[in-house]
Amino acid sequence: MNEAWRDRLEAAGLDTAQALERMMGSEALLERLLDKFLEDGNFAALTAALEAGDAAGAVQAAHTLKGVCGNLSMTELYRLFTRQVEALRGGDLDGARTMMGEISPAYQAVTAAIRGREDAGR
Amino acid sequence: MRDMSGLTEESGRRESVLIVDDDVINRAILSHIFSPHYHIREAEDGRAGLREILRGPDELCAVLLDVVMPEMDGLEVVRRLHAAGMLEKLPVFLITAEASDGVVKEAYGLGVIDVITKPVVPYVVERRVQSVIELFQARRRLSQTVETQQERLLKQQGMLLAQTRQMVRLSQGMVESLAAAIEFRSEESGNHVRRISDITRKLLLDTELGQGLRRSDVRQIALASVLHDVGKIAVPDAILNKPGRLTAEEFEIMKTHTVQGERLLERIPQLHEHPAYRYAVDIARHHHERWDGRGYPDGLKGEEISVWAQVVSLADVYDALSCKRVYKDAFPRQRVLEMIRDGECGVFNPKLLECFFSVEEELSGLYGKEGPA
Repeated sequence: MNEAWRDRLEAAGLDTAQALERMMGSEALLERLLDKFLEDGNFAALTAALEAGDAAGAVQAAHTLKGVCGNLSMTELYRLFTRQVEALRGGDLDGARTMMGEISPAYQAVTAAIRGREDAGR
Repeated sequence: MRDMSGLTEESGRRESVLIVDDDVINRAILSHIFSPHYHIREAEDGRAGLREILRGPDELCAVLLDVVMPEMDGLEVVRRLHAAGMLEKLPVFLITAEASDGVVKEAYGLGVIDVITKPVVPYVVERRVQSVIELFQARRRLSQTVETQQERLLKQQGMLLAQTRQMVRLSQGMVESLAAAIEFRSEESGNHVRRISDITRKLLLDTELGQGLRRSDVRQIALASVLHDVGKIAVPDAILNKPGRLTAEEFEIMKTHTVQGERLLERIPQLHEHPAYRYAVDIARHHHERWDGRGYPDGLKGEEISVWAQVVSLADVYDALSCKRVYKDAFPRQRVLEMIRDGECGVFNPKLLECFFSVEEELSGLYGKEGPA
């Protein structure tokens, strides 16, 4: 894991040191799981559920994203999804929708940073 | 990190950790933590997880269970496992991104061993899960030790039972050899007592004579019949084996074998506990009584004579007539039946005779070689 990529991930709100610790030092595992994160369908499911007013589907997706982001030490996204899950559990579907204004850019930043591994020239 | 390779060996077949989480990333992280020490199984939702647990609960040493999952959530899995009584043997951990008080309370109430929050901290999860796995392994070893002790106790009980059975066989053997000794001395056929026993058993089992007697009673009576002539041990050889007719005085001595038999049996204290004892004493004393009161030694009449004593006296007469003895030849079968019917050897209970004649055809089969001719 080179410095440039690490810096991009950090800048996108991913605590790389903590994440690596969770992988018990395995950079290979972290890289593999970050790739998995790109394939994860929960963000799309969350967006669709909120648009359709499907509260149950939304809370399920948001909850899963919260867990995943937590495990990957995406601290900013974890904080945001935690708040969104709370809102959804409280029945505040509109509030949860509004939060997407913060969540979407953060999510794009993280996914872009992960994809930036190739640009960062390993 | 500690080397825990020995742990998995000790746990025997229980060496798999099941991870139930709908997200592949979460499963991968947990798998990465535990795969150095355990086989890892994964399930993508609660239903699949439950299926995996039920398929082989003995192969699992722990279940790590996410709460919010499609199909069946983690709490429902816990409820099912609780209902199946499996949470006492299999430690289940809830691993959840948010643990509401209600969920945690219910989970612990149902028997979940621990609730661990996501994001997981590897060494914390590892330590907490492994401590519990070790605890359960220790518990199993302990209960296995207890089981082994119980098995040993059962084995001891089994041995005692076998010894008791052996003693019963032994006393039966002693009874039989005692009877055989008497027979040899009186130079009668070695099969005499066995036939008396067979005839007695048949009359009591296959005719109404045995009414009110259990099979076990009949077995004891048949055994006791073997000893009917045990008192002959006290009769001098000269009388016992005299070829011709006995004088009146000699006959009086011969008759004492009934009372002597009873006395002899009474003198063996170990026999008193034997279920055949009370029959043996009665038969020894009364197998020469007759229905009309003209038998000996007590001149008992009719129903005063027990059924088993009556049966043995008839069997004794039938066998004596049917075989060659020192004092006589074997009589032909028709003559034997005639003598019995006509009361030439004393009067028998009419009902006893009726029952006897109803099965005599089969009884005659006992004398294939020796007669009755």
